[in-house]
Amino acid sequence: MKRWSRRLRHLAAGVLDLPQDVVLEVPRITMIGHLQMYIENHRGVLHFSDKELRLLLTNGQLLVTGEQLVIRAILPEEVLLEGRIASVTFLEKT
Amino acid sequence: MRNAIREWVEGHITVTVRGKRFERLINLALREGLHIWNIKRISGEHGQMDMLIRDYFRLRPLLRETGCRCHVLRRDGLPFWLIRMRLRFGFTIGVVLFIIGLYMLSGVVWNVEIVGNHRIPTEEVSRAAEKFGIKVGAWKFKLKEPLVLQQEIQGVLPDVSRVGVDIEGTRVVIEVVEKEKPEVKPEAGPRNLIAKKKAVIHSVLPEAGKSMVKVNQYVDKGQVLISGLIGSETSQQLVSAKGKVEGEVWYVSNVSVPLAQTVYELTGDKQDAYYLTVGQYALRLWPLRQDPYERYEQSEQRYQFSYDRFTFPIGFKRQIQQKAAGITRTLSEAEAIEAAKRFARNDVLKRAGADATIKDEKVLHVKRENGKVYLSIHYSVIEDITAEQPLVALPPAPLNETDQ
Repeated sequence: MKRWSRRLRHLAAGVLDLPQDVVLEVPRITMIGHLQMYIENHRGVLHFSDKELRLLLTNGQLLVTGEQLVIRAILPEEVLLEGRIASVTFLEKT
Repeated sequence: MRNAIREWVEGHITVTVRGKRFERLINLALREGLHIWNIKRISGEHGQMDMLIRDYFRLRPLLRETGCRCHVLRRDGLPFWLIRMRLRFGFTIGVVLFIIGLYMLSGVVWNVEIVGNHRIPTEEVSRAAEKFGIKVGAWKFKLKEPLVLQQEIQGVLPDVSRVGVDIEGTRVVIEVVEKEKPEVKPEAGPRNLIAKKKAVIHSVLPEAGKSMVKVNQYVDKGQVLISGLIGSETSQQLVSAKGKVEGEVWYVSNVSVPLAQTVYELTGDKQDAYYLTVGQYALRLWPLRQDPYERYEQSEQRYQFSYDRFTFPIGFKRQIQQKAAGITRTLSEAEAIEAAKRFARNDVLKRAGADATIKDEKVLHVKRENGKVYLSIHYSVIEDITAEQPLVALPPAPLNETDQ
């Protein structure tokens, strides 16, 4: 059942030309250089320090590392992160 | 996402959180719908965040649940300002009084300007304006609408055709447009109308008084045309004679016209010179040398920056010299006579007065001598020949009879 729905979603994204983040429940990330990062569609904060932010996603995790990280604003599904961002890593659910 | 004004109005605080499960606290707070921002990790177990005051009390159970402790670091926003204001009561009163004072002072008329009057004294206009409350020190909000004030002031000032009232901040400008009054002719005293020239009467149109002449009658200079003395011999009355008497007057005009005439005409050649002008001084820029023509007509164009009333003193001038050359023309006799008549007509009309018309023109004599044509022309001109002669009041009635 779950596989069917996933296939259907992929199909919709392809055929109807819908943005993938709307259909596939993946995060939409907007970055302004290395200074600011805006993440939508997250599922909660797993770990946060001034060097690392680990967010829970629907399928896996998002790992942002950098320095002097500050969460400027946070909502249930959105995060605005500022600081010197060094890397963004996706960790697939195993 | 964030609304800085709302944060400030509702008041916000910065708290430090000590505990191991800081992330858990954030997640729980989000789920509860708390507004938190500027989240920082200070050290291993210390975090810091900003939040609304309102949400601080909702944070309490979450803290207990996650085993964190929090400490308020900084308070900011309107509610805390109000508290501080209450503590510094005198200062607050001062600020409020200052604002009120400023507002009230800006609601006062500080200056009344009256513009556009020449004949009517400014005091009269300002007195009229004062009646309707426009004076220095008056409250602006007590004044009526400018349109209404305009009409009211205009009603008081009879010699004014329009009043404009403009309230510009603390200044009231009253613009006055005065009525153009026709000149009042002084009432003429009793008088006769007499002839100022020898003439043959052409038409008589009396308006007041008794007409003493008929059409085609010859009148001498000084003869009474319209008498100011009316009525029968027993009951006489003096009036100011009025009317129009036109007469035919003869003039002889002697004119001489030279047959050879020099006329100057522009040949079409011209030369330009460009000047830099500073104030009233001009410095030629180009060309450096210029030979003026023997005869020329000169004109100039000035280029100068100006804004409103202010003119930039430095400008630019272009001087144009147009070459003129003399051409000698020889007139034929017929042309000369024609020109002479033209001169003579002008001369006669100048002598006869503005509303004269030439009735007849007769060349009496033509003589050609020394390259000139001499003419004497006779004109009969119809013109107004009346002049005024004041009447001295007659002695009282009883004596009148004995006089006559």
